[in-house]
Amino acid sequence: MALSPFGSRSPSMTVHSPNTAIRLRATAAQKSFTEPASAAVSQPVQNGDRELTEQLNIDVRERYVKDKKVGEGTYAVVYVGHLRHDPSSLVAIKKIKVNAEYKDGLAMDAVREVKYLQELKHPNVIALHDVFSSKDQNLSLVLEFLPGGDLEMLIKDSDIHYGVADIKAWMGMLARGVWWCHENFVLHRDIKPNNLLIASDGEVKLADFGLARSFADPLFNMTHQVITRWYRPPELLYGARQYSGAVDIWSMGMVFAELLLRVPFVAGNTDLDQTSKICEAFGTPTEENWPGVSKLPYYIATDKAHLVPLQGRDFFMRQFPTAGPVGADLLMSMCALDPRKRSTAVQCLRHNWWTVEPRPTKNEELPRKSGGTKKMGDDLTRRGGELDEGMFKSAARQLDFGMK
Amino acid sequence: MIEDDIYRASSQYRLWSYTEPSLQSLRATTNAVASERVRAALRRSREAHQSTATSAAGTPLPESSTEVKNKDEKDVECLTPEEELVLVRYYCEKTLELGETYKPPIPTMVRATAIQYLRRFYLTNSPMTYHPKSIMACALFVATKTDNYYISLRQFADGIPGDTTTEDVIAPEFLLMQGLRFTFDAKASQPPHLPYETAEDLQQGLLSIAPPPVPSSSMSDRIARAHGTTRELLKSAAQMTDAYFLYTPSQIWFSAFLLADRPLAEFLLDVKLGGPVTATIPAPETDENGLVNPLYEIRSKLHHVLTECSALLQSYTPLSSDPAQMKSLKRIAKKLYHCQNPEKVNLAASQKRESTQPSTAAQSDAGIVTSESETERLAKKRKLEQEQKVRQEDDVFGPELVTQRTKQ
Repeated sequence: MALSPFGSRSPSMTVHSPNTAIRLRATAAQKSFTEPASAAVSQPVQNGDRELTEQLNIDVRERYVKDKKVGEGTYAVVYVGHLRHDPSSLVAIKKIKVNAEYKDGLAMDAVREVKYLQELKHPNVIALHDVFSSKDQNLSLVLEFLPGGDLEMLIKDSDIHYGVADIKAWMGMLARGVWWCHENFVLHRDIKPNNLLIASDGEVKLADFGLARSFADPLFNMTHQVITRWYRPPELLYGARQYSGAVDIWSMGMVFAELLLRVPFVAGNTDLDQTSKICEAFGTPTEENWPGVSKLPYYIATDKAHLVPLQGRDFFMRQFPTAGPVGADLLMSMCALDPRKRSTAVQCLRHNWWTVEPRPTKNEELPRKSGGTKKMGDDLTRRGGELDEGMFKSAARQLDFGMK
Repeated sequence: MIEDDIYRASSQYRLWSYTEPSLQSLRATTNAVASERVRAALRRSREAHQSTATSAAGTPLPESSTEVKNKDEKDVECLTPEEELVLVRYYCEKTLELGETYKPPIPTMVRATAIQYLRRFYLTNSPMTYHPKSIMACALFVATKTDNYYISLRQFADGIPGDTTTEDVIAPEFLLMQGLRFTFDAKASQPPHLPYETAEDLQQGLLSIAPPPVPSSSMSDRIARAHGTTRELLKSAAQMTDAYFLYTPSQIWFSAFLLADRPLAEFLLDVKLGGPVTATIPAPETDENGLVNPLYEIRSKLHHVLTECSALLQSYTPLSSDPAQMKSLKRIAKKLYHCQNPEKVNLAASQKRESTQPSTAAQSDAGIVTSESETERLAKKRKLEQEQKVRQEDDVFGPELVTQRTKQ
């Protein structure tokens, strides 16, 4: 498998160029010198019909060559491709399908993904190298090529053995990626193992920003219908319309638990089932442990007899012995029911767990698995918030996919 | 990690920050390319016209037709980059008004994003090629999508005064996005996250400085006033000028603050950075190693930037409130009418032509307008047209600058 040549940034474009204004100007100037001549003399119609921006777009498109299709979903098709001038520099090209049902122009998933990936440049966030459109007005995203598959693939493969040092390395990369999003005021809103892709050098990358949005102003309502159910925090299950980065931290905690247990920790079959499984596992939210919870729209009070007391540190240590006491403490801080008591991304990164033994595994020594390109293709074509059919087959059959 | 690093990673910095000369030269290039294409397009349409005319007459007269062609070509007078800019600015002001017509009005931040979209689009596109009137509505609609202010296309189109259809609104979407180079983030409109990025933060910051230099009740009034003026400047002058192409958001708000209450702004700078920069104290203090106080250097650099930026903000007067500017705008609009690229006039129609699916327009041409919704739509259109005739005068867009003519 070829090495991803780019590191985390773009090989060719705008990201690195110190002054794009000048670049743009250069292209523009060149155009103005060549075009009138060619338009008047050689090909009056075709060449004369190109706008400056069209030309820029064509220039970007011409930089890449599509090789083969590696995934197709309802929302997108993914190809592996490479830079025209350098066949060893691989990229993933995600072509967004035009949705005939959606009459309001470019679909929101694509709008969000493009908007946020253009701004978030970080080693633990999938890099967007370029965006271009084809003649039929389809949008193509040139993304970092991540042939290492995803965390889900490693969790589920019983032939893969990994230990707490590996988990620490993966979780560290995830936490840094999430921190960067939050630092840029972006909520990811769909963190789960199959959105955590792995580069050829072992680096974990947060992908799929189809459900992302900027932090809202205080008192501004957002939708609670986000985050794939098993990773969805209790405040969203209760229908909270105002929430914070704490929603992503809960998902991170669920990924952490799943890495330790190698099965999803709370896997509800319906939203209601998810809520009750969370209560069973972590304790029943009440006004005492979560002031204000009873005012959330879908909150249902539990009668006294069925109250599960809030779980303490010993529960986490018992449930997740491999994490060690310090690791269990970090996990607990990510799984606080009350979002105000949950750790922030910065607090997670400042936790002792990262510095106590064992040290996180170096990237090159992390367990890996072949067949990652296909997985990347599948992951990049999935719509936000969907559970993969067939991934946990028994559960999947009973799942309600109407995630609206 | 400091805020500067985060800002430098943003698309606004990477793609949409310019120096004054680079901005000017980009606009000149765009204008030159567009003018050339307009002339070529007009030439083509004339040639097509003439060839039908001459073949009908049966007696081609090559010499005289060349003469006519040359004469016509001279007649096409294209817009200058300055004229294009005036036109774009006018439609930025119109965007604010359009947002206001919705119930509830489209939030200021969404409108601010739309204005930046328009300004960015017209850096590499000319109003001669794409009329700002059609791009404006699309920019506002795209901004509602990118800024999470959900409104359906149908609702949006219905909210536009006149008989704009959903197709009219959405037709230039792709073109617009391409012109935006697929970056949708505009810092001009962002919620106040970075410290001191907005007037509100500034107010907080000032109120937190103790002790106040004058008794506090009148002081807080003064701060509130400065805050109000700063906000207004950020909503108007900052949006309507090149400010966001040339300066960072924090430089812009601070310049606005300087204009609102100079002594107060200088006071804040003194507190934060020390010693004022004045002509009477030219020699910077040096320490025992002969090094200039770094804060002094920052302060003088900042002074320079803020002075320039304030001057830019101050130079702005709304077009609509200035008869002289409106007069010149009308002249430009008339000029545009003659140099509008004839091949790009109707985007919605040209997209329909390209589309392989049978369009509703084709059906209605064939006289099979059957669906209820279509009938309703046409009825509504007629009603709106009627209404529009009546209230032409108080239309937010004002009366048409030039009577609309169907172009080929």
